[in-house]
Amino acid sequence: MDFKTFLHAGSNRRAMLKGMGVAAVGFSLTGALAGCGEKEAKKLANGEEAKLNFYNWDTYIGETTLEDYKDSAGVDVNMTLFASNDELFAKLRAGNPGYDVIVPSNDFVERMAGADMLMPLDQAQIPNFKNVAKDYQDVPYDPARKYSMPYTWLVLGIGYRKSKVKAVPDSWKVLFDSDEYKGRIAVLSEAGDMFRLYGKYMGKSVNDLTDADLKTIEAMMIKQKPNIKAFHEDNGQDLLLKGEVDVVLEYNGDIAQAMVEDPDIGFIIPKEGSQLNSDNLCIPKGAPHPKNAHAFINYLLDAEAGKKITETILYPTPNDAAKALMPDAYKNNQVIFPPADILAKCEYAKFNPELQPKYEEAFTRVRAA
Amino acid sequence: MSGALQDWKSQKKPFAAVVTAPVFWLALFFVAPMTIVWLYSFGQNAGPADIVISGTLDNYKRATEWLYLSIFLKSLAVAALTTLICLIIGFPVAMAITFAAPKWRPWLLLGIMLPFWTNLLIRTYALMALMGTNGYMNKGLGGLWEGASWLRTLVGMQPLEAWTPVQLLYNNFAVVLGLVYVHLPFMVLPLYSALDRLDKSLIEASLDLGAGHFKTFMQIVVPLAAPGIVAGVMITLIPALGAYLTPDLMGGTDSQMIANVIERQFKRANDWPFGAALSFLLIYAMFILIAFQSMRSNKVKEA
Amino acid sequence: MFNRTPIAPLEYTRKLWMRSWVGLTMLFLYAPLIVLMIFSFNDSKRNVVWKGFTLKYYEKALNNDSLVEALVNSLTIAALATIVSLVIGALAAVVLWRFRFPLKGLVEGTMSLPIIVPEICLGVAFLIFFAKVDWPTDLPWPLNLSAITIAHITFCFPFVAMVVRARLASFNKEEEEAAKDLGATEWQAFRDVLLPHIKPALVAGALLAFTLSLDDFVITFFTSGPDTITFPVKVYSMVRFSVTPEVNAASTILILLTVILTFIALKLQGVKGIAETH
Repeated sequence: MDFKTFLHAGSNRRAMLKGMGVAAVGFSLTGALAGCGEKEAKKLANGEEAKLNFYNWDTYIGETTLEDYKDSAGVDVNMTLFASNDELFAKLRAGNPGYDVIVPSNDFVERMAGADMLMPLDQAQIPNFKNVAKDYQDVPYDPARKYSMPYTWLVLGIGYRKSKVKAVPDSWKVLFDSDEYKGRIAVLSEAGDMFRLYGKYMGKSVNDLTDADLKTIEAMMIKQKPNIKAFHEDNGQDLLLKGEVDVVLEYNGDIAQAMVEDPDIGFIIPKEGSQLNSDNLCIPKGAPHPKNAHAFINYLLDAEAGKKITETILYPTPNDAAKALMPDAYKNNQVIFPPADILAKCEYAKFNPELQPKYEEAFTRVRAA
Repeated sequence: MSGALQDWKSQKKPFAAVVTAPVFWLALFFVAPMTIVWLYSFGQNAGPADIVISGTLDNYKRATEWLYLSIFLKSLAVAALTTLICLIIGFPVAMAITFAAPKWRPWLLLGIMLPFWTNLLIRTYALMALMGTNGYMNKGLGGLWEGASWLRTLVGMQPLEAWTPVQLLYNNFAVVLGLVYVHLPFMVLPLYSALDRLDKSLIEASLDLGAGHFKTFMQIVVPLAAPGIVAGVMITLIPALGAYLTPDLMGGTDSQMIANVIERQFKRANDWPFGAALSFLLIYAMFILIAFQSMRSNKVKEA
Repeated sequence: MFNRTPIAPLEYTRKLWMRSWVGLTMLFLYAPLIVLMIFSFNDSKRNVVWKGFTLKYYEKALNNDSLVEALVNSLTIAALATIVSLVIGALAAVVLWRFRFPLKGLVEGTMSLPIIVPEICLGVAFLIFFAKVDWPTDLPWPLNLSAITIAHITFCFPFVAMVVRARLASFNKEEEEAAKDLGATEWQAFRDVLLPHIKPALVAGALLAFTLSLDDFVITFFTSGPDTITFPVKVYSMVRFSVTPEVNAASTILILLTVILTFIALKLQGVKGIAETH
């Protein structure tokens, strides 16, 4: 068997599939296989081909954003998806396989910048940076926004089923140190977040944990383990919706989406304070279309485009111009935009290469205990 | 039963014809990539994306700590239990396929395989939807319970207490069930391909001579199917040992398996050298086992 | 199926306990799939609670170009990987079964390794390997799938080898000798005597390889680039916020397609051809 036979077999299969899809379900697949065919390589004024590879989270873009961008700039955005920062990092660690724009969270911006994996941004090419809220124009994880532009931000808190809790669970104690909701609790499986939030519960900064603290926290986790039903993979809102658990550690954006489906769900940031996260637009080193990448980032920071994105994903936006265009129901939603006094007690987690493996090992011990 | 092995020297041409492709492929696309990871297991992190291969044995020292050994042993037990259940469920199914009319056989075979052409993650989520607190299994059981309660009132007894849903998910039971669900065809297929050559007249003869079905099964069918059982056990046990998704999604707070730990080293902990050491400990153990087994069986054949 | 002839001792398939056993196993295998299919018609963003009937997710799935593209990629890779794995796997099994040669234990051990190596470890190995040898990533379709296909073959063919070898154990070498005595060449003996014997194992091996390749996520994830997304990679990234009915709809289509394609293949090949025994 030579390779030609294989190619032939492949294209036959494709044709067959195409026919099948139409016959079996009755929808047209026209254009669906466009990605497989040859593309004309038309050049843009900036000298790059009209193409861009965007590596994003799922459901993290407006319904029509990519089409709108194609209409206005003529650039085909090929969006592929990753499911966690770890995946994104592992994937790019050995070299960039061709991505132009990526969306890492704050600590990974720090980590990737430290590993020399990001391209410095040329702010002159991103005039829409002016739309970004003041608080996000200069952030500790990326001073002067050298490598990243803010896309969304989010904060961890407790999602709960209103009809099943006696009082609003406004302290981490409910999740971390109490058998009140025994067997009805789910917390995150991400070791770092867990340790840092326990730190918050103990009244410490998320970035000041010592080895002694880790020991204490580990013991607390082992003690609390029998009360916990599952360590979830960031799908806590689902567990809550299905009625598997009644209190869950989750991000505000995720719970806000679940609240649309089920009014019996609530969310609160515990009084001890919590951990902030922010997802950012970056250009990885070795990006094949850096100019398109700048233009695309600029487009995502546009007021109208930002509004459309926010309407779909319902996450808090750092884009003030976009926020101004949103309805009051969004702007005044206390889940999406928690009150300033509680936000003041929340912090960003710094990337800490020393502690991360220690968190992991301690959490492995907790699970094995 | 299959004659002596031929020495490669006496049959150089056919030997070369069959040996080249597999060995070439293995060397280029398996040994070469794995060597890099193997070297990493003697290295240490020198920054978020750099590894220095310093010849250190620290990673192995850490990997052989009791914490990780105990997780490994637990994973082995879970995988072994999964394999056993697969064998018990799969053997009669493989027999049924073997003894089915020829025109039914391919359909039965496909019937077993078809669910496995659906994405593992989607299947796992579907299984979880069945098994959840408010899932259909619990609803069915709840219905039965209500029925029983109602029957009791009919005969004048106290009704049963209200039904409380059974916890089917998020525990070790769920992990084993999920693993059986995922690995069943890996057991059925080799069993089928081994049983298929079963000489049916042997069974008939045994039955004619007055041996019961069970006795015939144990003394004729099982020994003849032995190579298939071995192959089935191998390709069920080993992937089950490496399962990470099922324990992650369906397991409770103590259901982690060794593959979960390894996965976290490569992803979250960003500690590739340690992940490599853990992986290679697993590989060394298996490699020795298989090479030993192969040497022994070759000696037996030559004798 | 419903003839009234008495059940002969060997007609296990017509015995009630055997039928119920197979029936229960099938129920176990298919119940989750049925739930999955039902929920593909659910008019809710999440398949948690039933909210009403809709076909919109089918429309969405079929209009989702990247999903369809991923599906086509997956099927292409699985087909290629199955063919090559069958050849290499069968050859490997024959070598180990038939010859005595130096370092045989080493070769045999190494050959089973791809089954043992944790997926993530092999995935990382390929990630670094393809980066180090500078494997081209911008080739036209389907050549851009080559890296993934190579990786798939590596972990698929040992499974084929294992199944084929189990089958070879029952081969009567004298048959082959007899054929050669009658003037058959080495190749003819292989083609006409050995190959028919191992055919059921090849069918089983092909099914295994196809299944493994079609469902692989971890290794594919590390070998794919922006233009080479496969169905599992797509699905895994889509379910971060739980499985949407769109994914269910796509799976339902995939199941239907598989059934139809297999049905046609079986009809074309003649049903007997597939599970033919001697």
